[in-house]
Amino acid sequence: MTDDLKRIFLEACVLIAFGALFGLTMNHQLVLDAFAGRLVPQRPAVNAEQELQQDVPMALPMPVLLDEVQQLMTDGGLLVDARSPELFAAGHIEGAVSLPLADIDDVLPDFIARTDKDRVVVTYCSGFGCPDSFDLGMRLIEEGYSDVRVFEGGYPEWRDAGLAVAGEDQ
Amino acid sequence: MNRFQWFLYHLVRLSLALVFVYAGAVKIQDVVAFAGHVAAYQILPYAMNYLVAATLPYVEFLTGVLLLLNVRVRPALVVIGGMTLIFMVALVSVLLRGLDIDCGCFDPAGGQDVSAGMALLRDVGLMVLVVLTWWLRSVLMAGSAKRET
Repeated sequence: MTDDLKRIFLEACVLIAFGALFGLTMNHQLVLDAFAGRLVPQRPAVNAEQELQQDVPMALPMPVLLDEVQQLMTDGGLLVDARSPELFAAGHIEGAVSLPLADIDDVLPDFIARTDKDRVVVTYCSGFGCPDSFDLGMRLIEEGYSDVRVFEGGYPEWRDAGLAVAGEDQ
Repeated sequence: MNRFQWFLYHLVRLSLALVFVYAGAVKIQDVVAFAGHVAAYQILPYAMNYLVAATLPYVEFLTGVLLLLNVRVRPALVVIGGMTLIFMVALVSVLLRGLDIDCGCFDPAGGQDVSAGMALLRDVGLMVLVVLTWWLRSVLMAGSAKRET
């Protein structure tokens, strides 16, 4: 019986190894990019086309984690909220400035006038699955900002971690 | 093994198989979206979410296929039971931290959000099916051994 169980657990391990190996084979580039910090979710197709046309890789906003965002803010970085003004007013990360992607052409000149292009800028929106922070990051890079990061977890992750938030609903 | 047990064994085996083949297949189609769901649990470091998303669906799919084919059933049940147990621990941690997230159990790109509480209940059901399949499989094998002697 013990030998039987041993064999079953051994086969279970082989099964896991085989499945994982197959998954890694199919997604090795994704995993390598993630570990190298090159990965950005929801990359818009338009940028991929531009990249092909220009034949040079475009700079991409670097994804950052929650604790890294806190450190960047301590070091003088600027948090930028890509969501609508209504969502920003309802609740946002304390200290963040509003730069709604939907009104970007109207609000960007004022932002550029007030923000040094060497300053670290961290964009965020409504968490994973929300592409606005990435799109805004790309736009800021195009405008000449040298160090743009994307906080993928966005407002939900920050709020759920119990960190400081501001806004009408708080 | 009587006729009812034989019927029940194949019913629960096929049910589990279909659940895991489906769960694996839909996640394989959108690994990045699934990584987002894994990340929403806020348990693993950034890159590890992608590693889990790149491998877990294939293990789910493979175990589902083995159950479907009635091959290596008990090793597949051990893996499914282990995975379900890990999911349950993760979901309890989500509930304890009060996170409001979709469990990401099935279609990661789909709009149907399933709360951690509901997902936990579903996982309890899956564990019952795993234990039941294991037991019925043992009864089936004992019956076969008896007939051979």
